[in-house]
Amino acid sequence: MTRHGRKPDDTTLSVWQVIELARHPDRPYSLDYIRRLAPDFIELHGDRLSGDDPALVGGIGTWHGRTTVFLGHQKGRSLKERVARNWGMMHPEGYRKAIRLAHHAAKFRFPIVSLIDTPGAYPGAGAEERGIAAAIAEAIMEWFRIPVPIVAAVIGEGGSGGALGMGVADRVIMLENSIYSVASPEAAASIVWRDNNRKVEAAEQLQLTSRDLLAMGVVEEVVTEPKGSAGADYDAASVALDEALNRHMQSLLTQPTDELLQHRYERFRYIDSLIHAEPHFGPKV
Amino acid sequence: MSVLARPATEVRIAGSKLPDIPLPSNCPGCGVGLDLETMRKHNYVCTQCGHHFRLGADAWIALIADRGTWKERWGDIRSHDLLNWKVPKPYQEVVEKLMEDGLNEALRTGTCTLAGRPIWLAAFDFRFVGGTLSIVAGERLARGMEQAAGSGIPYVLVSASGGARMQEGVLALMQLAKVNAAVGRMHAAGVPYFSVLTDPTFGGTAASLALLGDINIAEPGAAIGFTGPRVIKQATYADLPPGFQSAEFQLAHGQVDMVLPRTELRRLLAHLLEMYP
Repeated sequence: MTRHGRKPDDTTLSVWQVIELARHPDRPYSLDYIRRLAPDFIELHGDRLSGDDPALVGGIGTWHGRTTVFLGHQKGRSLKERVARNWGMMHPEGYRKAIRLAHHAAKFRFPIVSLIDTPGAYPGAGAEERGIAAAIAEAIMEWFRIPVPIVAAVIGEGGSGGALGMGVADRVIMLENSIYSVASPEAAASIVWRDNNRKVEAAEQLQLTSRDLLAMGVVEEVVTEPKGSAGADYDAASVALDEALNRHMQSLLTQPTDELLQHRYERFRYIDSLIHAEPHFGPKV
Repeated sequence: MSVLARPATEVRIAGSKLPDIPLPSNCPGCGVGLDLETMRKHNYVCTQCGHHFRLGADAWIALIADRGTWKERWGDIRSHDLLNWKVPKPYQEVVEKLMEDGLNEALRTGTCTLAGRPIWLAAFDFRFVGGTLSIVAGERLARGMEQAAGSGIPYVLVSASGGARMQEGVLALMQLAKVNAAVGRMHAAGVPYFSVLTDPTFGGTAASLALLGDINIAEPGAAIGFTGPRVIKQATYADLPPGFQSAEFQLAHGQVDMVLPRTELRRLLAHLLEMYP
């Protein structure tokens, strides 16, 4: 059913079908959106320490009349491109590049748009040797200090710490057929069952669809995709994403920096406060 | 180690008598026969080969806190089966069984003194769902760190964790951001944060607070990393060299400041507390 990355009309998708759609190679990737949002986009490279991570694109573009820093996980379509982009899985250099560009944005007071589309951080020996855990940890901590507005959108897969390392923002929104999860269903099955063939059962329990996350209070908005899903009409999907990103950004641009950072802190500090727990579990929102 | 002999008050090897832990009859490191009383007095480190046995949060509190000074905080926060997780085991039942066994979540926190100086102490417990970072763990951590940031009292963390807790879904993942934001508050307030990494420390716990200490101290032989070796092999078909992701490997790769035997830990922490008043 998701052979062309399109969703048939009037069908309720199973959780696994949503995952297939979120991962489909016909779905628009970060650069497909960024080039539509900011046609003058200029890509910038490198972490200024040791390398450049092609799994994360970053750069500047004019968006609604304002220079904006864009960041996004980038997957590839052809086999060659997929290998070059490492399937959108970042190495430590990617998180360091992101923070370098965030500091760039802070210096010039440019707002930041971050697009999330990754199965997770790269699970390989080289990433471990170069400190992937600390790179993610430091990125997550540093995002709370970046004194400009940040809006993030999950456009496909939001996988684990690899996604959260790019997902600390003032507002986080999701496209309708995207997912955001503590671990990929395969990894969760491997951890809980010690058998990654139980991925469908794991997926059904993880509550990782956009509607689940909205209900949990983890994201602010679910952006409706065009008929047949984002893969059916890149332009219409970009218009919908643009409208939502801009609406959130506009409300942040006028906020004093202290307030912005305090709200960002509280957004994550009390992100679980919708969960009923006893005794009284943090302030109620 | 003469530099460590400076604290004015004598620092005992443990704050209190350590609880019993289940020990094999022989050491998995060297095969020597193990005696519980000898091992207890040696902080459950093999006297022959230095193999470090895993400790629960209760043992860590006994080891680090001065006798009679431990005040547990927020021990009454309870986890909830918010995803209605049923297979392969109902999450609620798993948690209730562990609570009946006397464990109180994957992380306990509170205040105490160490060699007479007040600290905040937080210890993961690997026996509770693999020491996984849960909403309860994140809440206890964030509250303690916020109080430490407010009062200026140094913070000591002992980690032993498989990462974020799957059965709490994306809200478990969000705890990484929640606790790292709180670590940032301690950094901004100039509060010393000493992180002790024990076997094993992986996933979301390594990728959040465990590696963000002002000083990261690892136990000898502890496995520390982001992705576990089984998953790395599955994903990349790579042969991993012996000692990959060991504490010594992380020292060589610049991720921890030192690899320190458990029998030296209390003395070092006491000395650090003097140096970061």
